[in-house]
Amino acid sequence: MIRKIALKEFKENLREGRFRVSLVIVVSLLLMATWLSLNYFNSVQQQHAEAKANARNIWVSQDEKNPHSAAHYGTYAFKPKYPLSLVDPGVDKYSGISIFLEAHKRNESQYMAAADQTGLARFGDLTPDFILLFIIPLLIILMGYNAFTRENEQGTLQLLKGQGISSWKLAMGKWGGIFIPVFIITAALFLVAGVLLTSLSDFGELSYDALLLMFLVYLCYYTVFINLSLLVSGLMKKSGISLVSLLVIWILVCLALPKASSNLADTIYPYPSRQAFASEVEKDKKAGLDGHNPWSQAAKDFERETLEKYGVDSLHHLPFNFDGYRMQKGEEHEAQVYFKHYEHLKETHNQQTKVYQASALLSPFLPTRFLSMALARTDYGTHWDFADAAENYRLKLQESLNMNFAENSSYGDWAYKADKSLWTEMPDFSYTPPKLGAVVERNSSNFALLFLWLVVSFGGLRTVTRRI
Amino acid sequence: MLEAINLSKSYAGHQALTDLNLSVASGEVYCLLGANGAGKTTTINLFMGFIAPTAGKVLVNDLDVNAEPQATKKHLAYIPENLKLYPNLTGLENLDFFCGLAAKKYSKQELEELLEQSGLQPEFIHSRVGTYSKGMRQKVGIALARAREAKVLLLDEPTSGLDPQASNEFSELLHSLRGKGVATLMATHDLFRAKDTGTHIGIMNEGKLKHSLAADSISLSELEDLYLETMRMDKTQLA
Repeated sequence: MIRKIALKEFKENLREGRFRVSLVIVVSLLLMATWLSLNYFNSVQQQHAEAKANARNIWVSQDEKNPHSAAHYGTYAFKPKYPLSLVDPGVDKYSGISIFLEAHKRNESQYMAAADQTGLARFGDLTPDFILLFIIPLLIILMGYNAFTRENEQGTLQLLKGQGISSWKLAMGKWGGIFIPVFIITAALFLVAGVLLTSLSDFGELSYDALLLMFLVYLCYYTVFINLSLLVSGLMKKSGISLVSLLVIWILVCLALPKASSNLADTIYPYPSRQAFASEVEKDKKAGLDGHNPWSQAAKDFERETLEKYGVDSLHHLPFNFDGYRMQKGEEHEAQVYFKHYEHLKETHNQQTKVYQASALLSPFLPTRFLSMALARTDYGTHWDFADAAENYRLKLQESLNMNFAENSSYGDWAYKADKSLWTEMPDFSYTPPKLGAVVERNSSNFALLFLWLVVSFGGLRTVTRRI
Repeated sequence: MLEAINLSKSYAGHQALTDLNLSVASGEVYCLLGANGAGKTTTINLFMGFIAPTAGKVLVNDLDVNAEPQATKKHLAYIPENLKLYPNLTGLENLDFFCGLAAKKYSKQELEELLEQSGLQPEFIHSRVGTYSKGMRQKVGIALARAREAKVLLLDEPTSGLDPQASNEFSELLHSLRGKGVATLMATHDLFRAKDTGTHIGIMNEGKLKHSLAADSISLSELEDLYLETMRMDKTQLA
């Protein structure tokens, strides 16, 4: 019976010109968005590969030089493009693609794609996630706003009820009638994305689990919208009022609430300004050991402790070059300072995330948005992960260079030059984004929120259908 | 099969039906006559369970309509005065859909035959209902009532909008259903049709059943006089 109603609804929708036009527009937009994203990612991926190869080439082509000079010369860590960023580019455009790794300093990521765009970028990009998050819910509203009001208005409800059908079965049939085309469109998009990503060369490792999970997340999101559409249609007497109410809900849920929660999160838990952050870091760095300043009190204390530890009375009698050793210890102190301040930034980020999650009780868009980005590995969580991996690589690189300097020269021997082979011995930076299990665990609250929306919206629909 | 016991219904202070007692047995056709607002449609709606009674009980096949709404509808087929169907579906698709809801399975050919037997011209069977006249929609409703093979038939002005030939065919259909033991309750303005097809006739006015008599106990002209007298009497009382 439910199947019969669902097929009837689907058939009726297909025969409505308004629906056909909307369907053509949505499918065209999806195809266009996928094609544009594919071209963009092909181009960016090529640029990344070239830039990465160039950076490595520059690093290994260095002449013989003091290892600490090489540390200052620096190199780059490139954030790899994760295949699913084709579907949801997330914050990639704003978070930068590479980090310059040098001695004594933890740098921010740079070369943000948004910085290369003109003011027209304010209008946003046509990407598959835009269609999935904003446009398909609109299509659902268009299909569902008059699901029950139309029966009332055209007088078919009495005949329907006269056949002995329960209101819940009627609602489930109508639910199915909307879900079928939405499922077909979404499945087609993810299928195309899967085929395209598999066929691309050098596009990283595609996780089909993540692709499937992302597909399921979007289906849950659409289910919530279908439930809301049917619920409002069941509550209202007129189709016009139902449509306006649902459009207001769409505006609130997809546009207003996410922006409002962003402002709210930033007001309650503000990030320090770049200047204040740099100033605090500098203050803490100065309070400890500076590898380049042997005259500071911290350096003098460290010198005394080292002499005592090794039982010698002169730095010249140490079994290593104290200059290199001090450089390394200074680096370790600076790393701790950066760690402390970046942890504070992460804590602020977590606090802001809690505000978003509280807002998600009013908007199913928010958990879906976060889950989509997380599964595409284009969220801030993945960016932090990349930045931490780059910092760990930087610290290991510095340690290798400083210890080479310390172990292969004597105190005061600043003329020491390491062999060119040292640069090649240093492994290139390689980053693997978090595994799916870790992403799911980190986003368990977003999954729970989306599930809560599913349960509540089905409950609401059940309550409303009892009145029909 | 059909029974109303002390049935009353009021809407916001307006008494639409007062203390109705009525029963229709298997093989009987009970025709409710009355002017607009007499309470005929309210009675049908109460039997269908579309509205709840203010007082009294409605039984279909000994089942309380309000206590077991789904179960009672399995025994019922219903044709309203102005049957509304899905305009974007064809007559055949509408019939197939509603038969499906009632768990009745027919082949496409059987459905076509049902529509044709109900008077729908074959060239319209595959046209969208949006292009149908009121009479053509009623014919789809008749086909549905036949397809449902229900034991109880509730008809609210079923011949409204039908051409004379279709009306006659409809009367023949009621006769044949009578023979199959179907209990029918029909609200109508048409005295001739009531006398021709009914086994029992009730005359309603202002929510009350004023007269209930066997159809063969009265001639058409006597029925007409009784009907007019009932209407006039109440108007006089009102004055």
